[in-house]
Amino acid sequence: MTPQTFFRRKQRLMLLTLSGLLVSYAVASIALGFQQGALLQVQTGFLWMAQNFLPTAATFKLLPAVLFQLWRAFIIATAAAGVAGLLSLLLAVIGAKNLGQRHVTVSFLIRGFASVLRNIPIIAWALILLFSFKQNELTGFLALWFMNLGFLTRAFLETIEDFDTGKLEALIATGTSRPVAIMQGLLPEIATPTVEWLLYMIENNVRDATLVGLLTGTGIGFLFDLYFKSINYPAAGLVVAVLIVLVISLELLSTHIQRSLT
Amino acid sequence: MLTVTALSKRYTPDKPSLEAVDLQADVGTITAVIGPSGAGKTTLLRSLNQLLKDDEGQVCLDDVDLRQLSKRDLQKARRNIGMIFQNYNLIDALTVLENVLHGCLGAKSTLAGMFAHYTAEEKQEALKLIDEMGLSDFAYTACKHLSGGQKQRVGIARALMQHPKMMLCDEPIASLDPKSAQMVMTILRRLADDKGLIVVVNLHQVDIATEFADHIVALNHGRKVFDGVPADLQAAQIQAIYA
Repeated sequence: MTPQTFFRRKQRLMLLTLSGLLVSYAVASIALGFQQGALLQVQTGFLWMAQNFLPTAATFKLLPAVLFQLWRAFIIATAAAGVAGLLSLLLAVIGAKNLGQRHVTVSFLIRGFASVLRNIPIIAWALILLFSFKQNELTGFLALWFMNLGFLTRAFLETIEDFDTGKLEALIATGTSRPVAIMQGLLPEIATPTVEWLLYMIENNVRDATLVGLLTGTGIGFLFDLYFKSINYPAAGLVVAVLIVLVISLELLSTHIQRSLT
Repeated sequence: MLTVTALSKRYTPDKPSLEAVDLQADVGTITAVIGPSGAGKTTLLRSLNQLLKDDEGQVCLDDVDLRQLSKRDLQKARRNIGMIFQNYNLIDALTVLENVLHGCLGAKSTLAGMFAHYTAEEKQEALKLIDEMGLSDFAYTACKHLSGGQKQRVGIARALMQHPKMMLCDEPIASLDPKSAQMVMTILRRLADDKGLIVVVNLHQVDIATEFADHIVALNHGRKVFDGVPADLQAAQIQAIYA
């Protein structure tokens, strides 16, 4: 193959991919009857949003109540990620093939369990749990927890399976047991990615907590729903604004922690 | 004394990795195992502390056959065998001091080991070993920041923390520059001479083997093809080993 043919092939592949993406949009818009003209009105929509959702001076009286609910959403998000993280780590250590899990069934079951939990959308979890636990914060916590358990187990499994087990072997060669070698050898090495995943999960949970709150009638989501349905758009805008501030703060904190860990 | 008798290992039925290998190593000596890649050097070394379960033969350290030991007794026996690796196998996220202290994990209860509970004496001893290896300035530095030669010295200190009778070294200088390689081999020589350790070292460099070892064993296709003192190893034999 000549260099010209090689690069021509690569360019053709790239063009095909781009065309494929455009075609998929065209098919969807024709099949579902998108109102293409609405795209030209997008600036009007943004203008309306800016005029109605911008918090006014009066809405700031509601700030303590909003912050209180935000705080509750934050601690639920952290607790769900933390508790799920501990159990996920244990499941991942048990299921990881490179740590000596000889029973394929165990590994398969843990992966399957994690995939099922992860692939059920958070809204579905909230609705399913609503029947058993009714409208309260525990329902929201459990919805987040189940999703986190699945997601983190898969993430930790992949992290552990990238780990160089020669390091564990070196500790086992000193005469120590496998559990001690895992505790002293594996955990310090995967601490950074583990903390990164946990921080990501907390960020994600804060966003999801709003959605779960809408469905379970609790927390920050309920507050947003209440203000929105009572046509108090500036107050609803205030809820969105404080959520954005919290998520960005968490992102900044997460970046800072990641930097200090590496 | 280490006595290996008729040690065999096959990963696949038709291709032996080790075939009836005999080996004897006395206290205070260095035995170099040489041979081309795939000759069975690493398999042999890993069989000596039973990290790898061999198929047949005997591995006796001070008349105790390691192959016959229960899992628990084997763990105890491994405390007497230090091991260093080509790619160091240190916990990079931890400091030099913590890595060296890992050497005494085998002597601890599971609970103490889990929570890395070390005594003041152990910490002092680890610091002394770090000093002996010329790494005092790096005691609280994470191992990921060290050079290859420094990492290998941490590996040696970790193995010495076990108070071993025998040191197994799997190509310890393969990833090092000539100066660091000389330094590591000099340390191993000193350990054999001063502490009376049995040192078994896998090497690719025949010149280093003849310079530092008391005894050379050459393997090829899992078979022992030379066993003698360095002076007996002739150029023609070296050529035959690596042919």
